[in-house]
Amino acid sequence: MLGRGVKRKRKQASEAAGEETQRHGDGEVGTAEATSGGAGDIGDMRQRLLGLSLEKLHRYQAGVELSLRRSVLLINTLRQIQDDMRNGIEGDANAVLGAPDSPLLHEDLTCPGCAEGGRESPSSSPESSSEEVNVGSFSDAVNAMGYLGDLAMDDIFEDIDTSMYETSDVSSGWTAGSLWPVSVSLWADEDGKGTAGGLQSCLMDLNELDHIMEILVKS
Amino acid sequence: MAGVAGGNDFQWCFSQVKGAIDEDVAEADIISTVEFNYSGELLATGDKGGRVVIFQHEQESKNRPHLRGEYNVYSTFQSHEPEFDYLKSLEIEEKINKIRWLPQQNAAHFLLSTNDKTIKLWKISERDKRAEGYNLKYEDGRLIDPFRITSLRVPVLMPMDLMVEASPRRIFANAHTYHINSISVNSDHETYLSADDLRINLWHLEITDRSFNIVDIKPANMEELTEVITAAECHPHQCNVFVYSSSKGTIRLCDMRAAALCDRHSKFFEEPEDPSSRSFFSEIISSISDVKFSHSGRYMMTRDYLSVKVWDLNMENRPVETYQVHEYLRSKLCSLYENDCIFDKFECCWNGSDSAIMTGSYNNFFRMFDRNTRRDITLEASRESSKPRATLKPRKVSTGGKRKKDEISVDSLDFNKKILHTAWHPKENVIAVAATNNLYIFQDKIN
Repeated sequence: MLGRGVKRKRKQASEAAGEETQRHGDGEVGTAEATSGGAGDIGDMRQRLLGLSLEKLHRYQAGVELSLRRSVLLINTLRQIQDDMRNGIEGDANAVLGAPDSPLLHEDLTCPGCAEGGRESPSSSPESSSEEVNVGSFSDAVNAMGYLGDLAMDDIFEDIDTSMYETSDVSSGWTAGSLWPVSVSLWADEDGKGTAGGLQSCLMDLNELDHIMEILVKS
Repeated sequence: MAGVAGGNDFQWCFSQVKGAIDEDVAEADIISTVEFNYSGELLATGDKGGRVVIFQHEQESKNRPHLRGEYNVYSTFQSHEPEFDYLKSLEIEEKINKIRWLPQQNAAHFLLSTNDKTIKLWKISERDKRAEGYNLKYEDGRLIDPFRITSLRVPVLMPMDLMVEASPRRIFANAHTYHINSISVNSDHETYLSADDLRINLWHLEITDRSFNIVDIKPANMEELTEVITAAECHPHQCNVFVYSSSKGTIRLCDMRAAALCDRHSKFFEEPEDPSSRSFFSEIISSISDVKFSHSGRYMMTRDYLSVKVWDLNMENRPVETYQVHEYLRSKLCSLYENDCIFDKFECCWNGSDSAIMTGSYNNFFRMFDRNTRRDITLEASRESSKPRATLKPRKVSTGGKRKKDEISVDSLDFNKKILHTAWHPKENVIAVAATNNLYIFQDKIN
């Protein structure tokens, strides 16, 4: 599932989601405990969705062009989760993702909070402080940002639409810092670290690809 | 034309099934598009292996009137080959995304087929005579040295077995950076449009080295991209009008007379979202997977993940009709997101008189809706009921509560068996339904 020989660190949330995916991969739709569960499951549910969405963005068949429609829909979903979390954080400074009493969503997964917009321009991030803290704890990811920032992808591929690659989406998203949906404090708690590790390895992975591309283009 | 569910007077029955029975389905054999030509005499399918198979309607005879829905293979050809984009280091799949017939103008038939990047115009013609007896070439086709030819023989046309030839007439390449999702022949019969995720191009059928970009929604900064084009179609009668749908559930109607670049739409069709049913998946399920004008040109139909909607072109704020295709999946969206089914692109089609519509679902089920009676029916494309002229039994999915006899529960639906592509004969009640690698043909049964 990881593909391309990348070692993955321990992470419970996304692994569980992964197994889930494999199980459903054969076309079965399992019991939708997620939607039928009580309010306590909803934070977990969102957490799982987040992990799942990141994993979906990460997992693709090497060498085959991605479906832009799917990627855009996935990223918009991630943005919505981000908005939802942001609204939750605004509502409760101590709100932790996945907290059983998290009032972020009500039973049927609706999020009235996210109707208030910010989806079009999530760059106006009010949580810049929490962002900084988190970025600090992910030096690897930051290094990745710097590395990619120097790359100036747009100049190299001036005539080519490289933007359809997940890699540039992800990396430039990080460079922009705010547009990428995962700029809020996902990893403020233990549970979140799993996801972060996944993202980290995901980014490293994509960096490798970028590096290879760079070599190819330069040669 | 009678209704789809029809009560006592009208039923659907099995006519034919094409394709291997083998349980082991080769990826290349999966049907990726189905399309009748304008008369309904020919039916074309494209598959993931880049092949186009054309079926021809079996001539009816008085003794066997039931042959109305019988088609036989007329021509098979390899339309697209797998390619490699060296610049991007990516494979270009040979999968046929769409086939569109051109209106017939002479004895030959023409169709457009497209994969992700390249559109091809094919001529399908018959030959039942060959020239024989001329002495300019050897038998293996090499030209004879003119100095050796001492006399000139006039060739004679000799009858031979009927041969159907498919030859590529035009190749429209290098105009799409993203994946082509739609092609649509214009009513002027001279131009056609092709749409990818971010752009729509207008072509002349005779000219392959240039096309006009008529829609471009690519933002200068791709990070700002939040929407893609999912389908596009020309109006059936007004050659200046076309529509395109988006991943945000909206449809834009453009008038090419207004400006060369139709970035500004003339009409914008959008139904306000019901806040009570909002979820993380709202946008994904509202993404439109297909848009089709009615034959009359008055309406258009759009398919999203859970429903099909009919819009009056004169009313932009909401559809005039909404039909639920498989509402019981709303509680399963999380699982369908996990297994990626939520990204499936179901298509839809009108019957010849615009009185009924058809679209696919999972478990090899497909749905028909009668617009007049508002009745709907779920049918199944399955080998089990594929006895000649066997009546199709309506199927039901139990939605909560106790499962009645003959009903199937939502949990036992097979999500690998999906009907994405269907086609309705333009004049008759004959339908073609693509179920993975099999093509089913059904017809109405008049008692």
